[in-house]
Amino acid sequence: MIIYSPMDGDALTSPIPSNPRDCFLMTRLGKPVPRGINEIRRSITAVCNKANYKVIDASSRVTGRDFLLKIWRLIASTPLSVGICHEEIPPKTQANIYYELGIAQALGKESIIVKSPGAETPSDFVRTEHIEFDARFSTTFADYLESLVQQASHYELVADQLDRNPILALDYLKRAFLITGDEQLRNKAQQLLNEPGLNSRAKNSVELLAATF
Amino acid sequence: MATKKTSGNTKHDVVQVRNPRTGRYVKIDRSAGRIVDHKKSAGPYKNIPVARKR
Repeated sequence: MIIYSPMDGDALTSPIPSNPRDCFLMTRLGKPVPRGINEIRRSITAVCNKANYKVIDASSRVTGRDFLLKIWRLIASTPLSVGICHEEIPPKTQANIYYELGIAQALGKESIIVKSPGAETPSDFVRTEHIEFDARFSTTFADYLESLVQQASHYELVADQLDRNPILALDYLKRAFLITGDEQLRNKAQQLLNEPGLNSRAKNSVELLAATF
Repeated sequence: MATKKTSGNTKHDVVQVRNPRTGRYVKIDRSAGRIVDHKKSAGPYKNIPVARKR
């Protein structure tokens, strides 16, 4: 996939290291964090840890470089983005969360909104899946994480059908790999690269970058 | 393998897979290497084989 830098509009031509089985959490990070939001975060983390997902957020990595670009790269490196929607999140922070959800959707990531019963989502997110933070939250969210395995299997199956379109097939394999962490999917990508003509491309070509995961 | 003749007399190898997120079937033209259609209603397309994992 070609990712254009939000800073200068040029394509990113260096590989983004993959973080399979990581969940990028979008929430309020600046102190003080209201209790209700902390409670949602704790529940998300507990369910993710149980399902073998590691929760990371924008403060998990210190790069010393541009903050926005770091967020883009973190989203691109992970399979799943979870955004919290809560009435106590300040409007500016909530707008940032929606922006990041948009990035995740555009990059083909699994994305979901966890919302408190009192919070309202903007109309652009009406068709985005959301889970309400209520008494059944842990079960519902765990079911959602479980369903991602099937989605990964679907991505692999689609990739298998697209061998005449290697870039798309590689991208589907990458999406499946990020969810499962299955090394066999990396091998499949390498096999695709062995098709005539592909391996001789520049190391930062779209084809080889797509296979670097 | 199911093939379908187009107006250009080219044979196309078309399969379908079910997207678990939507529960709907997706038609893929393997010869052209592209996703050609998403089914709007429930159930599979008629006369199109369902692709299985290799």
